[in-house]
Amino acid sequence: MPALIPASPEVLEIDHISKRYGDVVAVHELSLDVSAGELFGFVGRNGAGKTTTMRIVLGVLAADAGEVRFGGTPLTFDSRRQIGYMPEERGLYPKMRVAEQLSYLGELHGMTDAAARASARHWLQRFDLQGRGDDELQSLSHGNQQRVQLAAALVFSPTVMVLDEPFAGLDPLAVDVMSAVLREQADAGIPVIFSSHELELVERVCDRVGIIDRGKMVASGTVDELRAGGRERRWVDVPGAPDGWDVGVPGVRLVQVDGSRRLFEFDPGVDDQALLQTALATGPVREFEPVEPSLGELFRAVIGEAGA
Amino acid sequence: MTARSWSLGGTRRVPTTFLVARREVRMRLRSRVFVGGTIVMAALVVVGIVAASLLAGKTTPVRVGFSGGSQALERSFTASAAALGANVTVSDIADVTAGRAQVTAGTLDVLVTGSSTAPTAVVKVAIPSNVDSALYLASEAARLSDAGLPPAAVTSAMALVPVQILQPSKPKENQNLFAGLAVGILLWIALGIYGSQVAQGVVEEKATRIMEILLATIQPSRLLAGKVIGIGLVGLLQLTIVGAAALVAVQVTNVASIPALGVAGILGDLFWFMLGFLFYATAYAAVASLVSRQEEVQSAIAPISILQIAGYLLVYAALPNPSGPLATVCSLLPPFAPILMAVRMAASDVPFWQVGLAVALTVASIVGLTWLAGRIYANAAMRLGTRVRFMDAFRG
Repeated sequence: MPALIPASPEVLEIDHISKRYGDVVAVHELSLDVSAGELFGFVGRNGAGKTTTMRIVLGVLAADAGEVRFGGTPLTFDSRRQIGYMPEERGLYPKMRVAEQLSYLGELHGMTDAAARASARHWLQRFDLQGRGDDELQSLSHGNQQRVQLAAALVFSPTVMVLDEPFAGLDPLAVDVMSAVLREQADAGIPVIFSSHELELVERVCDRVGIIDRGKMVASGTVDELRAGGRERRWVDVPGAPDGWDVGVPGVRLVQVDGSRRLFEFDPGVDDQALLQTALATGPVREFEPVEPSLGELFRAVIGEAGA
Repeated sequence: MTARSWSLGGTRRVPTTFLVARREVRMRLRSRVFVGGTIVMAALVVVGIVAASLLAGKTTPVRVGFSGGSQALERSFTASAAALGANVTVSDIADVTAGRAQVTAGTLDVLVTGSSTAPTAVVKVAIPSNVDSALYLASEAARLSDAGLPPAAVTSAMALVPVQILQPSKPKENQNLFAGLAVGILLWIALGIYGSQVAQGVVEEKATRIMEILLATIQPSRLLAGKVIGIGLVGLLQLTIVGAAALVAVQVTNVASIPALGVAGILGDLFWFMLGFLFYATAYAAVASLVSRQEEVQSAIAPISILQIAGYLLVYAALPNPSGPLATVCSLLPPFAPILMAVRMAASDVPFWQVGLAVALTVASIVGLTWLAGRIYANAAMRLGTRVRFMDAFRG
């Protein structure tokens, strides 16, 4: 569990929140923090507690314990209103005109009528929907409705963004637009947190990642930090060496054999040079290559450990 | 593009309840249902009033023609007819055959032939009894006069028996009953329409999942209040238009003034609509928030619909005797008062204290219902999927 950094003005802090539904523990003492300008990816299996966590941040669900703070102060109803939210279950008024709907939501979040209209126009243009403002939402294609949904989370210029599976059901082009917009928002100094099943996308887009399993945060950090948190693995190829050349090197375990190539895993803190010297002593070393696991592999490893 | 390039508009904050209500009004005024419904309701009311005025004005005079010697009876016949309350016009008919033809053709109702002391009446089907009596009085006076009685003695001999009426019948009683029935039906329809619009609006927000976005920015109680107020205003506007149409129709047709169709009466009806709407809308909203799909709305609101139908049926039970014990007691009870008290006020004179008590009880129950509905709604609004049990929503 990472220690919470001291309160700073633009940090969203989720501090040991818990929520149970009857006998089912949905979230247990979960903590995480997202800094200003940071894009935080939230990954986990179905039912791991991602949606519950986000709903608690938004205040549509009350936590049994714990606290959510922004800028060091606990979130109130008014500060929550400045969070741009995209729920997992998408929804807008099907029979309301698109532009009207966006400016309505802007006004509900405290904008003036004129500012809300201008912002609605801006976001429709940004999503290439400028000609559709007077159409009813239900007349738009599924993909375009998704864009309007994102625009609904952006229209009032949120100070924090929380998005539950924003990429679900999007075509590749829409994914690009969505990730570009989220990056923009983060770059503008907003903490952005979103959940996703698409680990490659999370790895590519996010600054930091949190892995949640059975209501607990089991790992969080940059993808590199997560890799560092795992055990170092290296492929070693010593073609002329006899079998068992590596026996006796402390803190090293043979994981896999592929012809003359061998995959080793090092215990934490073990110096890989000891193995290299042993290898060099037996013959010419053709390969001494570290393995960079993908987020997917890290995810499986972490979840596997947690489940064991 | 920075994230904050759109100003939040400084300190000018419109209350969220107002924004919700304004959206409801805008969306509903634009719908064809509202425009069409208003036109149909106004048209029905106007047609009803015009028809009533035509029926009420159907006291066309009985046309009586006198020929030959009977023409001497015309003056005393007219006087007797007036005394008997018969509305007649009298004309001279020169030719008996032509007169008969007129009776057959329907351009004359009664043809009187023969002498003044022994006249004969010719009619197509039947003679109105008061016309018959007036004719008898006129010919009897002629016979007495013929027998030599002086005019003063004839007059005194023919004097009608004075009748003293202890409980005068109200000539407009039927009109008042019709007005009461119309008020009852209209209120019932309006309360049903707008109550179920609230129920459907609540479920719409759950079914389309916009509820989650809304509740992240607005308190459930304000969302509910805005919805109820917005839809209520639309209903009030519609009924005001219908009421105004009724007022104009009354003025134009010049139908005898019915208190229920005066400005005060119509304002009273609108007031009762408001109370009834607040009562039923909050109840509808609470039960509707327990379900998540439009298909479930009808069964969810059934208990309240039944209460409303009972109120409607009580109108028929109460109208024949608007001041009887059944009507009096039921019109004081909050679920029925908005319809029944309005009906009683239209159909009869209701003691002031009864109206006051009914208003007080209804307002008190609205306050209680609002608290209950707010609690149920707040707890059930975010529970999507299966139907929420009432007690679960109550406990939270």
